[in-house]
Amino acid sequence: MLNLINTSFDNCIKCTACTTRCPVAEANPDYPGPKQAGPDGERLRIKNPELYDEALKHCTNCKRCEVACPSGVHVGTVIQLAKAKHGGFKKGPREFMLSHTDLMGSLSSPAAPIVNTVTKLKPVKKLLDKTLGIDERRTLPKYTGQTFRSWFNKQSGTQEQFKRKISFFHGCFTNYNDPTVGKHLVSVLNAMNIGVSLMKKEKCCGVPLIANGFFDKARKNAELNMNQFARSLTETECVIATEPSCTMTLRDEYPEVLDVDNSDVKDRIFFAAAFIAREFARGNQPDMKPLKLRVAYHSPCHLIKAGGVIHTMELLSSIPGLEVIMLDQKCCGMSGTYGFKKENYNTSQSIGQGIFDQIEALGVDYVVTDCESCKMQVEMNTGHTVLHPLTLLAQSLT
Amino acid sequence: MKYNSIIIGGGLAGLTSAIRCAEAGLKTALISAGDSALTFASGSIDVLGIRQNNSLVQYPFEEISHLPSDHPYRKLGAAQVKQSLHFFTEQMAKAGIQMSSHGQQNHSRLTALGAIRPAWLSQPGTKALSIAAPAAGLRRVAIINIAGFRDFQPALVAAGMKKHPEFTGVEFTVADISAETIKIDARNAYELRSLEMARLLKRDLFSQPKGLTIFASAIQKAAGNADLVVLPSVLAVENGNELISQLEAHTGLPVCELATLPPSLPGMRMASALRQRYRELGGLLLEGDEVLSGYFDNNQLRSIKTRLNPSMPLEADHFVLATGSFFSRGLDSNPSSLTDKTFNLDVVETGQREQWSNERFLNGSQHGFSYFGIETSERFNPYQNGNAITNLYCAGGVLGGFNPVAEASAGGVAISTGWFAANQIIAHRSDSSGTAK
Ligand SMILES: Cc1cc2nc3c(=O)[nH]c(=O)nc-3n(C[C@H](O)[C@H](O)[C@H](O)COP(=O)(O)OP(=O)(O)OC[C@H]3O[C@@H](n4cnc5c(N)ncnc54)[C@H](O)[C@@H]3O)c2cc1C
Ligand code: SF4
Ligand code: SF4
Repeated sequence: MLNLINTSFDNCIKCTACTTRCPVAEANPDYPGPKQAGPDGERLRIKNPELYDEALKHCTNCKRCEVACPSGVHVGTVIQLAKAKHGGFKKGPREFMLSHTDLMGSLSSPAAPIVNTVTKLKPVKKLLDKTLGIDERRTLPKYTGQTFRSWFNKQSGTQEQFKRKISFFHGCFTNYNDPTVGKHLVSVLNAMNIGVSLMKKEKCCGVPLIANGFFDKARKNAELNMNQFARSLTETECVIATEPSCTMTLRDEYPEVLDVDNSDVKDRIFFAAAFIAREFARGNQPDMKPLKLRVAYHSPCHLIKAGGVIHTMELLSSIPGLEVIMLDQKCCGMSGTYGFKKENYNTSQSIGQGIFDQIEALGVDYVVTDCESCKMQVEMNTGHTVLHPLTLLAQSLT
Repeated sequence: MKYNSIIIGGGLAGLTSAIRCAEAGLKTALISAGDSALTFASGSIDVLGIRQNNSLVQYPFEEISHLPSDHPYRKLGAAQVKQSLHFFTEQMAKAGIQMSSHGQQNHSRLTALGAIRPAWLSQPGTKALSIAAPAAGLRRVAIINIAGFRDFQPALVAAGMKKHPEFTGVEFTVADISAETIKIDARNAYELRSLEMARLLKRDLFSQPKGLTIFASAIQKAAGNADLVVLPSVLAVENGNELISQLEAHTGLPVCELATLPPSLPGMRMASALRQRYRELGGLLLEGDEVLSGYFDNNQLRSIKTRLNPSMPLEADHFVLATGSFFSRGLDSNPSSLTDKTFNLDVVETGQREQWSNERFLNGSQHGFSYFGIETSERFNPYQNGNAITNLYCAGGVLGGFNPVAEASAGGVAISTGWFAANQIIAHRSDSSGTAK
């Protein structure tokens, strides 16, 4: 077979729109920005791999460049693939730890109270900082003593009473760190007469693995997940996920970045808010009581990229009494595992500053966002509690 | 999900339309496939600056009645065009940018090639010169760059300006400010674009307590006793106009910024001010999604399908198509025909391919393709196979029947047609009683 080089990056008309929107290029002068790192650089790299630029390591795969590009260039993907091809990822023990979220979760969750206490200790954080390069100023995510799966299995009987059923891809965070959002999803769907079931097995969607260069592992996970989805879809309407980055990856990054064909299930993978908003539009809306709250909504990068903001806003606007102020659609700077790394701490904080300032100035009751990583960043930097849209929805159920 | 209005395309036309709808309390969504031409535009608004015989227009609104009858401005009439521009000026002011005009008159603005272009509305940092006598009051002009910055060539600007007879008596000074003088770490200045230069200046210079004073005295030294200082627009994105007025206060000299090669900071500034205004009004902005097709029924557009949510069509009572011209992929061409990529609407007659363009690209005469675009009714409703689609309006660069570049009318047409579309939607809504939100 002819080995054709993918030159779709050549749709680039050199307009620089992508670079104007790249949060990393704005905060860190060492990063040349998406135009240069993406389509411009790719031309050089095709000619001579030695022209690979180390600075590509700074890209967080936030996808803002793709959202800005008027010519449909997959700038972020070009950069991730270049990093994978040219050894642009440094894969040390820290990267392994941060990215293998399901492995870390299954080890930590059974000992959650101890792990949570230990990772709060100053000397431990210092040690992690010195030995691994996980910045000591970060609050580390807590683990839950009871995983979402074990909670779910205890009550899965109640799901049998519903005629309609969907499959829920819970993801690592909901399972091992904080099952709240998963539980709220179950109560909202149940109030809409829809039952929830889980895949027999699921693996981390691959976001942190891709971000840290573990492409083979990510591909294995993707293949397992797609098999599980196909199986599960014989008995349920669709697969839904609450985490924007997971949803984007399952739908778009599997074929684009990992070369895993998901065409037979892709159209049946939904972001939870999209599925619920469509049900609401069709009249399947539970009774809701007013929530007299004023909240600021932060839209996560990958939700914007996946086209999901419209659905979250639709859900929030269906809650009576809720006043929603949309923050500037800017990156909070956390970008999953990126912000934990010592060398990225300052860039990460500087990217998010605009959002933090805006939140402080607004004086709202809560901040709302769909992404757990954004939640960590905003909670650490503002005094505000951050809620998931589904939590508000669950609270307004009568 | 149903909206009162869905605007497709987030450029000048789409944003104006969306702001007007949101301000009237309509449930509005704005969908834009990517950033718009504002990222490259000068940040001034052209209304109507050049006649077919290449002479300059001094009073753009008076000129409208002389345009061909199918020109978008003729459909609106001078009064509505004026009203729309006042609306736009007001909205920009609410978003923090005070734009100014010379009453009913055009003014001149400089370009980075030293050309003099007519415009009607400019940002304060773009010094508006007189339209009739652009060099009036100028004896010495200093054109200053930051050493090494490649996207602005002072000598080129001076050479361009000298070609205009008005500037024959004017003395030009061309100078660079070195990185050391203003204490910036411009390791690779030649690699920086305007935006990166602005970020560097912010970091190394303007965030320092003495930054502004240092820069001001560097300008004074380079400019001598000039009575106009011309700089590339690289000083700041968001508060660029304020920074320039502070510089003027410090130096006592009039300072003018010129948009460089992309990105254009004055254009970006305008785009972000408009987006911010729209959001403040509660409008929903969906960036990075693309409308792929529409479902038409009974000469109405009922719903649209987007690339990211193909199984969830979006419904609205009214739609605005503001997808721009070829550059923004609102219009598309193949060897024999022209299409509006989004809905396959009827386009203005295109003739033979050979007549589409003029051999010389920048010769000032008019290219056929510039007139191409969607054909519309008096109320800017497009046609599909000859039938008007009555709840869909077209606005801005996607329209046919005008020549944005040769006439210097791009911004004015975008604003006025976008505003008009929104007004139709609002009027329709107050007619039809009790449409539920
Ligand atoms: C280099 C340059 C300089 C300019 N300088 C000036 C100037 O000095 N003065 C002036 O008055 N005007 C100027 N203009 C013109 C002006 O900025 C606009 O191009 C013009 O007003 C048209 O605006 P628009 O909103 O119709 O389209 P555009 O600005 O082209 O925006 C169209 C938008 O629609 C989006 N889109 C396209 N298809 C779809 C789809 N299917 N679904 C969703 N979104 C879609 C595009 O991504 C884009 O964001 C300049 C333009 C250029 C290119
Ligand atoms: S993915 Fe994000 S960080 Fe990477 S180049 Fe694009 S905008 Fe910048
Ligand atoms: S926005 Fe798209 S077309 Fe423009 S420079 Fe970036 S990749 Fe190229």
